[in-house]
Amino acid sequence: MQKQIVNYSFLVIILYLIFFSCTKEIDFDQADDFEISPVMESSLVFFDEPANSFLLNNTEIISIKDSIKIDFFNNEFIVDNLIKADFVFETTNSINKGFQLQVDFINDTEEQLHTFTIRVSPSSDGSDVLSNHVEEFEGDTLTALKSTRKLVFTLSLLPGGPIDQTTRGRIKLESKAVFYLNIGEEI
Amino acid sequence: MRRFILLFIVISCHFSFSQNKQLLYGFSDIPQSLLLNPGGNIKNDWYFGIPLLSHIHANVGITGSTVYDIFANDGIDFNTKLQNAVYGMGPRDFFNGNQQLEILSGGFSFGSSYEKNEYISFGLYQELDFITYFPKDFAVLALEGNQNNINRPFRAHHLSVAAEVISVLHLGYNKKVNDHFTFGVRGKIYSSIANIRSTKNQGRFITVVGQNNFYDHIFNLDLELRTSGLASLIDDDDSDTNSDAVVKDLKRRILFGGNLGLGFDIGFTRRLNEQWIWDASLLDIGFISHTKDVENYKIEGDYVFEGINPIFPDTGNVQTAEAYWSEIEDNFEDLFKLDTTTTKYITWRPLKLNTSLNYAFGKKGYEDCNCTRSENSYQNSIGLQLFAMSRPKQPQLALTAYYYRRLFNGLQIKTTYTIDSYSANNIGLGVSANLGGLNFYIMADNFLELKNIYNAQSVSLQLGFNYIFNKNED
Repeated sequence: MQKQIVNYSFLVIILYLIFFSCTKEIDFDQADDFEISPVMESSLVFFDEPANSFLLNNTEIISIKDSIKIDFFNNEFIVDNLIKADFVFETTNSINKGFQLQVDFINDTEEQLHTFTIRVSPSSDGSDVLSNHVEEFEGDTLTALKSTRKLVFTLSLLPGGPIDQTTRGRIKLESKAVFYLNIGEEI
Repeated sequence: MRRFILLFIVISCHFSFSQNKQLLYGFSDIPQSLLLNPGGNIKNDWYFGIPLLSHIHANVGITGSTVYDIFANDGIDFNTKLQNAVYGMGPRDFFNGNQQLEILSGGFSFGSSYEKNEYISFGLYQELDFITYFPKDFAVLALEGNQNNINRPFRAHHLSVAAEVISVLHLGYNKKVNDHFTFGVRGKIYSSIANIRSTKNQGRFITVVGQNNFYDHIFNLDLELRTSGLASLIDDDDSDTNSDAVVKDLKRRILFGGNLGLGFDIGFTRRLNEQWIWDASLLDIGFISHTKDVENYKIEGDYVFEGINPIFPDTGNVQTAEAYWSEIEDNFEDLFKLDTTTTKYITWRPLKLNTSLNYAFGKKGYEDCNCTRSENSYQNSIGLQLFAMSRPKQPQLALTAYYYRRLFNGLQIKTTYTIDSYSANNIGLGVSANLGGLNFYIMADNFLELKNIYNAQSVSLQLGFNYIFNKNED
């Protein structure tokens, strides 16, 4: 008899466990709040040139202009998720002339959407003159960036001492882009 | 894109399955236990499984975080919980799944001697198995970006996924050589309905401080995803009218129209003395050759990006900025170009080892029974079981202690305590009941977690109906 009771209580426990498992409150709708904010950095443009690079047949070049076509900023992922971007420039100048770099942002109908210029002071004694510039893209400028299809770079030497084959010093530029992304259901 | 990332992260943190059937292993009152050890003890004369209902198995689980950790309605910001989950998990945490559905099964004993000591069993079942490791570095890159991770490599091998749906036709032979030794073997023909495999990814992405510019971004990638049985289905999706054709195609693949493979199981039971029994089995020693409907995708390349020098592209060279830039673009395109091939491939089935040591005790009192005594009249047994299974990164192991008891005539229970990758306190319960010739069994594990199933690291359920003609009920 006692054995029977033990056996039956086993059975009751099993049935209880099978039929009365339960859950605590779970809210899968929270997935709608999903949001991640990675910050990506990427090298951008650079150069490092001695003074005599600005000579063509021993004549000083006033400015050098070149452009690149770029589809990156109108990429759907960037358009949807980029909330801010910074272009960070660091320059070193040891030439006795100042220089400036102008960057123009052009769309597919050749309109200029945005432009900025970095001016770097001359080095009076051949020592390195360091300077930096941060161009922020937010709001309207960010919209301009996202429509940009072409970047035009114009590097110009500013008035100062003359350059010849013996001119010492160099100009150097490093830059990176910082992309602040926000990826989620709603932006 | 963001939906994809969401899905990726959420699914990665969701569920996992394992193929350990610690409750069914050695539960010889249930004919399907023979699938876990072809050389197991057999208690019936013949049986057939009720078609489509004879063995239904599903097992879900996860190592690392649980669904509750992420989706609990506790007022904590969802993204905070998600981040905690990502940071709390490592690249060896996984999420894997196994589901089986027996379509047909049966078995019968035969033998020339006075005692029928040989047994043939057969059947057809469908199985789904998948495992994905938590792609930790990918998740951290998506969460943080590279800004705070300069010099940190993001390693491609963190991405490791394998999934397949197969049907298996099998025929097993079991022979009780004498009172001390029984062995068995089972041959299997696999038909792969669909297969995805990406387990040998290599390479990395790293951002380091550069020579000429702020950073050098170093890409060194070798990723491959192999698929079979999917390309044609995806193509068919383009038109709705083809859904009938897809169903027809899937049916054909279940019945050996898929990619075929061969394999076998072996096992034995050794009675050491009247009360001690040792048994072991090795399952799914086999392969599948994927030759039909194969589509493989590969990304392979090395590239270092340090930015662009648009003004002095290449001093001393006449190269224009435009040409220089398109060269960089080409390099990136080459790097991320998805090569699609149809090279056939072979997959090995995940190998499974089971072994157990058992001690039977507590004979039933004579006054309770008017049936004849037989050697297996012990009412209880306890034992230790070990399960091991090959997986892409490392074997999956589980150690189980169990207690088995016959409660009444035709009602047996088994309770297990299992330590495995998921948890160290997994308690399971299984019941097998006979009503006349009809046998019903149900078993589930992780009972301690059932008070909040979403917090469980793994849950498994097996149930089925058979019609059994028992020796003892002659």
